[in-house]
Amino acid sequence: MFKMSEYSFMAGLISVGLALLCYVAAFASVRLARRQSALALDGGHAGSTMLSGQSVEVTRGPSSLAGYGTLIAWLALIFVSAALVFRTIAVGHGPFANMYEFSIAFAWGVLAAHVYFERRYHLRALGLFALPVALLLLLYATTIPSTSDPLVPALQNNLLLTTHVAVAIVAYGGFAVAFAAAALHLIASYTGSRRLPRLELLDEISYRAVVIGFPFLTLVIVLGAVWANVAWGRYWGWDPKETASLVTWLIYGAYLHARVVRGWRGNRAAWLLVAGFAATLFTYFGNLFFGGLHSYSGLNQ
Amino acid sequence: MTQLSRTTAIERRAAAASIGSDLDSDAVFSPSGALEWLWATFTSMRLALALMLGLALLALAGSVIIQAPAGVASDPGAYNAWLQGLKPRYGGFTTIFDKLGLFNVFASVWFRGLAVALTTSILACSIKRAPTLWRAAVHPRTRMSETFYGSAPYSENIATRMSTADALATTQRVFRANRYRTIVDTDATTGITHLYVDQNRWAPFGTVIAHLAVVIVLVGGMVGSIMGYRDEGFAVPVGSTVAVGGGTGLSVEAVSFSDSYYDNGAPSDYASSLVVYREGTPVAAKTIRVNDPLEVDGTAFYQSFFGPAAVMAVSDASGASLYQGGVPLLWSSDDDTRRIGQLALSDQNILVYVVGVASGRVDANIRAGQIQLEIYRTGEQQPIAIETLDQGEPLLIGGLTYTFKREQQFTGLIVARDPGQPLVWLGALALVLGCFLVFLFPNRRIWAAVKAGPDGAQVSLGATARHDAAFAPEFTKLTEQVRLAFAGAA
Ligand code: HEM
Repeated sequence: MFKMSEYSFMAGLISVGLALLCYVAAFASVRLARRQSALALDGGHAGSTMLSGQSVEVTRGPSSLAGYGTLIAWLALIFVSAALVFRTIAVGHGPFANMYEFSIAFAWGVLAAHVYFERRYHLRALGLFALPVALLLLLYATTIPSTSDPLVPALQNNLLLTTHVAVAIVAYGGFAVAFAAAALHLIASYTGSRRLPRLELLDEISYRAVVIGFPFLTLVIVLGAVWANVAWGRYWGWDPKETASLVTWLIYGAYLHARVVRGWRGNRAAWLLVAGFAATLFTYFGNLFFGGLHSYSGLNQ
Repeated sequence: MTQLSRTTAIERRAAAASIGSDLDSDAVFSPSGALEWLWATFTSMRLALALMLGLALLALAGSVIIQAPAGVASDPGAYNAWLQGLKPRYGGFTTIFDKLGLFNVFASVWFRGLAVALTTSILACSIKRAPTLWRAAVHPRTRMSETFYGSAPYSENIATRMSTADALATTQRVFRANRYRTIVDTDATTGITHLYVDQNRWAPFGTVIAHLAVVIVLVGGMVGSIMGYRDEGFAVPVGSTVAVGGGTGLSVEAVSFSDSYYDNGAPSDYASSLVVYREGTPVAAKTIRVNDPLEVDGTAFYQSFFGPAAVMAVSDASGASLYQGGVPLLWSSDDDTRRIGQLALSDQNILVYVVGVASGRVDANIRAGQIQLEIYRTGEQQPIAIETLDQGEPLLIGGLTYTFKREQQFTGLIVARDPGQPLVWLGALALVLGCFLVFLFPNRRIWAAVKAGPDGAQVSLGATARHDAAFAPEFTKLTEQVRLAFAGAA
């Protein structure tokens, strides 16, 4: 089972890389086509009108390069899911006990959220930012020993641990998509590029993703508090990891309100989402920077 | 025209400035004006945004900058020593961070001030919004003007061959079938029949619930920090009974302790068998483990740490026992070779440090089966005696007889009583439910107007833009259904 899990993991890793390549190639080929047509038509305006037509084709066309990207992204999701299932069977508890397992689970969340949003909004450009996140998480996982140590006492509360982390994965997946859409928003807005999706659509996607992420993050923090209370007799102790999750929560909370404040819509809201995702990653990788009660057995030995 | 109005605006601004700078002017402080200003400030979303981001920044500082441990922060001497220890790490910033309170961010005026302001702002917002939401849910606006249907982000005009009554009934049926509430409102003067339909009309209260929940959590946290009691270093030697502080009136006996390990040396389980007494009568007993505490009347005991203890007996010249029981060797020496415990004989004004060798270490002065005592008169710096005791052999020091009976383990517990907890959990539950309520059950509102046209009823449908991605397809689906229903009936 360990072997099966590792093979699926490697297949997942490779698929994510390939899917990303497809997206990047599709994107670059549009760019190339744009330059050529701009030259041919000797008029930037005519060229770009034609290209907005092409960009629709690239983002929607089932048989295009990007279409393969989508297909491979689905495959990646299946492989990573399989890796998690095999891992669960092999270690006998949810795959949420050390940084190796959690990184794969996080990557799974990002992939799942990406696939869902891409399908729902027909927006492959999301992959340009969401897939690198998944890829980096999986690459990071390869640097951690995949051994499974028995659980230290504080992690033995299986149900709480499993739900706490499973819910976190949903939240983080949502935030990764919100980040991808925000990054596209910022690029589109600063470069004025017409090949990227409409700003309103990107805002819409960010908002939908946060609307999923925020309640789940709230639940993560509450479950974490319940767990801390059971283990240490306090629901909140300003442990750096708890604090970092509060920072994340406050940033996304601020984002939900920024949308209705004049002057905060658009780019500023998008920057908030970038900051929010940075905080998410900081919370996640926090163990590398600071000690704390959150003992993940893969790292501190 | 434009020129003119710009000039007046500038003049007005200048006049306003002069009022502000002229202290002797007639401008008097008006309490109602100040209240209005406060109200406007605290209900402003811009302030809410600033407060949340400000708290986020401070919390970020609190997670990046090392924070003074609880015991250190409350003791100026210990705090200064701790600060000195940070100098190599933070250099010149040590003083700046200290002055800004960044080593104890969460107790700083900044953090508390922002938290109080946020609470005020949330309450103000909720008070401001609740009546509006209530009205929208109970007495929604049912009539929309003609221009609304012309300019609404979602709108649809359908011509039918039906009578207005039939068209209304058909439209209503379609919405009802899609689980919308429908309200019919006929305008007698214009002859237009207005139809208002909505779904999840209570869901917007999710925001009110979520907002109040944040306040409840904060209040609960405050109650806990003011009225709660917490001791993270409560050590009970096995076989001994130790009184719990904080006015709980409880004492705890550790009947046994066991620690077990996996093959690789990582801990697998810590378990302490405890009996809790109130005024000498046992009131509870349980074997606690990590993640499985014992709770007695709101005071809970958590397994936290463990270590060695020395079972000691002290008696005076007449042979009367002054102390009998285990002394937990709670502290480690700087080089980790020795374990040190403290035994206070307050009636005798004597403080004894009990020093043993850490497990697996060798010490030239203290051999296996021995323990060292450093005996001080309370408040003095020089010990009156330093003696090494052999196990089981009484020794007379300064008029008192000390016996080291045997080694033992102590179990370290966290004792916590937090009367704010019910509030915190209530708030947390409400916060989660409130958030899910808002986001899972989008409130949808659609207006329709039915009026007589040349060939039959004209039906206009319209809705405002909502940040609700599923609404666009929903609106299209509903209008299609209405259209089909008209066609089918015709
Ligand atoms: C940590 C504190 C806060 C939390 C967790 C919070 C949470 C929320 C949530 C979840 C929503 C729903 C957002 C949406 O529908 O997109 C919301 C909306 C809202 N909040 Fe807050 N809030 C907080 C502080 C505040 C404060 C201080 C104010 C007052 C200035 C405020 C005013 C509002 C208003 C007016 C809305 C409705 C916005 C709209 O129409 O979409 N909130 N809040």
